[in-house]
Amino acid sequence: MSHSTQLSTARMQGLVACQFCHTLSRIPEEIQNINREEDTSNKTNNVELHCPCCQSVIHSRIPDSLNKTWALLIAAIILYIPANTLPIMTVILWGNGQPDTILSGVIHLMDAGMWPLALLIFIASIFIPILKLLILIGLMISVQLKSRWKPRDRTILYRITEFIGRWSMVDVFVIGILVTLVQFGNTAMVTPGLGALSFASVVILTMFAAHTFDPRLIWDVIDEHTDKNRNNNED
Amino acid sequence: MTNQGTQQKQTAETLSHMACAHCDLIQKLPAMQVGEVARCIRCNNVLYRKQKNSLNRALAFAITGLILFVISNLFPLLSLKAMGLTQEGTLLSTSISLFQAERPFLSLIILLTTIIFPLTTLLGTIYVLMQVKTNRINRYTAPLFRFLRSTDAWGMLEIFMLAILVAVVKLGDLADVIFGISLYAFCLLILSLSFLSYSLNPHDVWNRLRDIKGCQI
Repeated sequence: MSHSTQLSTARMQGLVACQFCHTLSRIPEEIQNINREEDTSNKTNNVELHCPCCQSVIHSRIPDSLNKTWALLIAAIILYIPANTLPIMTVILWGNGQPDTILSGVIHLMDAGMWPLALLIFIASIFIPILKLLILIGLMISVQLKSRWKPRDRTILYRITEFIGRWSMVDVFVIGILVTLVQFGNTAMVTPGLGALSFASVVILTMFAAHTFDPRLIWDVIDEHTDKNRNNNED
Repeated sequence: MTNQGTQQKQTAETLSHMACAHCDLIQKLPAMQVGEVARCIRCNNVLYRKQKNSLNRALAFAITGLILFVISNLFPLLSLKAMGLTQEGTLLSTSISLFQAERPFLSLIILLTTIIFPLTTLLGTIYVLMQVKTNRINRYTAPLFRFLRSTDAWGMLEIFMLAILVAVVKLGDLADVIFGISLYAFCLLILSLSFLSYSLNPHDVWNRLRDIKGCQI
């Protein structure tokens, strides 16, 4: 079988692609050997490779991707609790304060008959964060279990989480605008709650988590498997 | 014809093969027409977008965006009129009022995502594109463009626009919401920012940097 007809990854050919300018550079032999002997991706990280074109640090896979992503995800899950239980803002009307959590805010909008708005806030503040956390946890578990289930679909799921995550910030901005505009002393005032900060942190942490997750890990399992099959066939 | 020919040749020389950023598969880039998009055969990730005049268009939208950004920050976006009092809100006052409400971190997040990152994106893009167009790059050009690419997701003005709409509908029942002068500039700013991110093809900038530096693979 000729080599050119097979699918081949940069790593298989001893190359690293720069994540910014996409230049392919060859991994020096000695680093490749260290990598093969110890079979851990940690070793390569001690030696920093730089892209010859844009001088950025390049790596075949994001170093410690799984550990970093788990850390960020766990922090996000923990902060998700205060984000939903603590009030995101308090609306003070005629001296009476009414604290609102994310969910009670949505329910108030529904009671007021503002259905489209309630739906928008529900999607941005409840649906997307939960979906994003679940997708990232699912991807992490699938990579750790070396799953070979629908890699293409999983990569597309990853791209969706990467794209939609930032839109959850809309509620934080709404709170900011309301706090700025509604400042009429004791008659009408909006103060931001600790829930808003927790929620913003959840959004930011999950954005970082999506960023540190390396989707190439999904495909490494597939490539290893086809590699093994090919070797067996040749024997 | 000749100009286009050389440009295509340069692209072919500098980037004939690409590894997909999402699945690491090495693929040969086909000859492409303007408007065509090359996708990874394995995971459907966008590998390359062939665009016409990407750098000039991006520069035009970035300069437009910068002017609109300044106007958006000079005047109030929204004002709220209730009980004979008027409360004005600008982009910057959102982070200031959160700071005064003793939420410094929230204020910082809003300051970064609505002012600092959009402004650095606009200024940095103009600077890099000017340098690339005049062939006067220095050793900070590549790191600066890298920084701009990696902070691209943190400028959230379009999300702020959505938040303004939500706030207007929410407050509409309770008080008079007056649209400020800056709101019109802000709407146009959102448009130019999205045109900017659509027309700016980072590959073109990197290819030019590669050409100027004479970097070989």
